[in-house]
Amino acid sequence: MIRIAAVGDVHVDKDVVGRYRPALEQLPDRADALLVAGDLTRHGTVEEAGCFAKEFGGLAVPVVVVLGNHDHQSDLQDDVAKVLTDAGITVLECSATVLEIKGHRLGVAGAKGFGGGFAGACASNFGEREMKDFVGTTEDISARLGEALRSVECDALVALTHYSPVPETLVGEPLEIYPFLGCYQLGQAIDSAPTALALHGHAHHGSERGRTPGGVPVRNVAHPVIKQAYNVYQLLSDAVDMELAHA
Amino acid sequence: MTHQINLEAEIQRLLTEDDRISEQGITVQRRENLVVLGGEVESAQRRDEICRQVTTRFPEIEITCDIGITRAQAPSEVEEIS
Repeated sequence: MIRIAAVGDVHVDKDVVGRYRPALEQLPDRADALLVAGDLTRHGTVEEAGCFAKEFGGLAVPVVVVLGNHDHQSDLQDDVAKVLTDAGITVLECSATVLEIKGHRLGVAGAKGFGGGFAGACASNFGEREMKDFVGTTEDISARLGEALRSVECDALVALTHYSPVPETLVGEPLEIYPFLGCYQLGQAIDSAPTALALHGHAHHGSERGRTPGGVPVRNVAHPVIKQAYNVYQLLSDAVDMELAHA
Repeated sequence: MTHQINLEAEIQRLLTEDDRISEQGITVQRRENLVVLGGEVESAQRRDEICRQVTTRFPEIEITCDIGITRAQAPSEVEEIS
């Protein structure tokens, strides 16, 4: 059995430091790893990244993150990633990592993802250069996420993105902005590997649960959706046990 | 009607593009003589800054701020994925 904690869209700046820490200090009793689904900061500055590292770093469990669109706002995403990496946090961007947990190998492949829309109402790689660049970005990130997912050898595989791979977890958001909240190509990437769970954020007014066309469970863990410091998901269950160890 | 649509769009862009706010998760809803801001943010300072900036930019509009602070307590349950 592996338990993973997950949250997204925490948007840490100096005014948030200390809010999550009491719940995070309880993590070792509740989960084996923490995954954060992007929008770690407000504007993607080095200072804000330092605040995130202070709040979410130095925990007794491994922390794995992807960046979100807010973390790109200052065009300093590489510097942000370095601050996090230096603090012992694993940053994924079209890449994967394997965590050894209680004799199991937990694989996590992650990417920020991008918009583009979903089947029946998606953008096409056609027309103006700006449009082709937009959809080209969607296709490139999704293809590389798929490669990262298929490259992992593990007992349980988790996909971690900021943008959504399915429309179901966007229900509650205005339909008009779905193309800016995710794309079906991420779902295709997730379905191209034996993924056990897909986690994303970005959609603050969305819904918690969905599935990819291939049947992979999807969870929107944006903080305003889950309304607590993190959710906990259990994989590789050896017995049904819905009680937390110290609940 | 055009003015109303533009007002909501202008508030939405202010909420996102003003560096003092940078929020994409705030809803803007019009009532008869009122604009209601909704959603959740990470701190009381951010909620107060949103209200301050929007009322300063649109002094002729009555603004009500229904923005909450997202709770950050530890969970009490675990979901088994199958």
